[in-house]
Amino acid sequence: MNTRQPNWNRIALNLFTVLARWILGAVFLYTGLSKGLHPVDFLKLLRQYDLVHSSLPLNAIAAALPWFETFCGLLLLAGIAVRGTALTLMLMLVPFTVLVFHRALAIQSALAIPFCMVKFDCGCGTGTVYICRKLLENFLLILFSAWLLTGYGRQLSLRFSLIKPHLHQTRPEAIHE
Amino acid sequence: MEAKSIATTTPDRPAVIKGILREAALVVVIGSAFALAANEISPRGLALTRNYFPAGTSRPLPRPSPVSASHNASVTNFMATDSGQILAAELKEKGLQLIDCNRAAQLFQDPRFQQKQVVFIDARDEQRYQEGHIPGAYEFDPYRPEKYFDAVLPVCRAAEQVVVYCNGGDCDDSETAAVLLRDIGIANQKLLVFGGGIVEWTTNNLPVETGGRNSGNLRNPGK
Repeated sequence: MNTRQPNWNRIALNLFTVLARWILGAVFLYTGLSKGLHPVDFLKLLRQYDLVHSSLPLNAIAAALPWFETFCGLLLLAGIAVRGTALTLMLMLVPFTVLVFHRALAIQSALAIPFCMVKFDCGCGTGTVYICRKLLENFLLILFSAWLLTGYGRQLSLRFSLIKPHLHQTRPEAIHE
Repeated sequence: MEAKSIATTTPDRPAVIKGILREAALVVVIGSAFALAANEISPRGLALTRNYFPAGTSRPLPRPSPVSASHNASVTNFMATDSGQILAAELKEKGLQLIDCNRAAQLFQDPRFQQKQVVFIDARDEQRYQEGHIPGAYEFDPYRPEKYFDAVLPVCRAAEQVVVYCNGGDCDDSETAAVLLRDIGIANQKLLVFGGGIVEWTTNNLPVETGGRNSGNLRNPGK
């Protein structure tokens, strides 16, 4: 009889990954809804980044981004398309963080204050925050997103992968029953 | 005990990466469709083709002290700050005029105010308006103008002076509202932007009305 010992490392990794997925999902659900329910406020905040100078793209970003974040948050909480969603969020978070950093540098230069004293509403859905705290938060969210790509923590997922990768056959192995 | 031989299958790394990329693309496509549909359904959704910032999409950076004081409610004379002077110059370029709290208070006490020859326009959203506005001011959220045109346009056309205000300080919704009113035919000579806004008004203990227009619920009524 083959008795298997529980692999505690793997269990801990899976638990951590499920928690990371729920935290990431809850954060995006909250920030997405807080912006989506007040789109004009978000539009005004988005304007400060001077990304685009015509109405249509600015309005489209302000209209769609909060709900897109809400959608991604829901997917992560439910455990659907986890790695695809995590990659999407990571690809969004990195440029957003760069933009927020640049904006903070500009404010620091304009107000002539220490960098970590810069406090503004970055349009991130969490109101006015100190920049160093915001950057740390974003760094953690990026780390969580990257970690979800590892494929651990498939427990409590409705459908972890929407697209199954092609499988290739490896050497047969014996299983004793 | 029975031994059984089965073939295990494992995906190779490029296939996994390709699968994640395809899944991400699917999330982007479905998520974008969801987001646009949600914006369309939401009663607060944005109109994609509307220009919400007729005064310009760019926003200047804050400036060093004393402008930084405009972030808090202790400011008592917005026009004396650098922000006030910059705003005055910007408004002048647009054919509009910036006024200070003393001038706004004078217009509020002017007998013409009772005859609707002087009107006040509150350019903040409904929630902030309900929380407190200059007594008798008309609500006019420049980001939802169609909701207010019927009430606001006739009084603005009939008035000799139209005072537009928002929160004050860094808020530029009063400028947006004034430009919007100018663009739909209100003569710019009679449009006055009260830069200090409701923050400066309340700091000076001037009366504030809560609830709807002419609700009668006043704070500091004796002033």
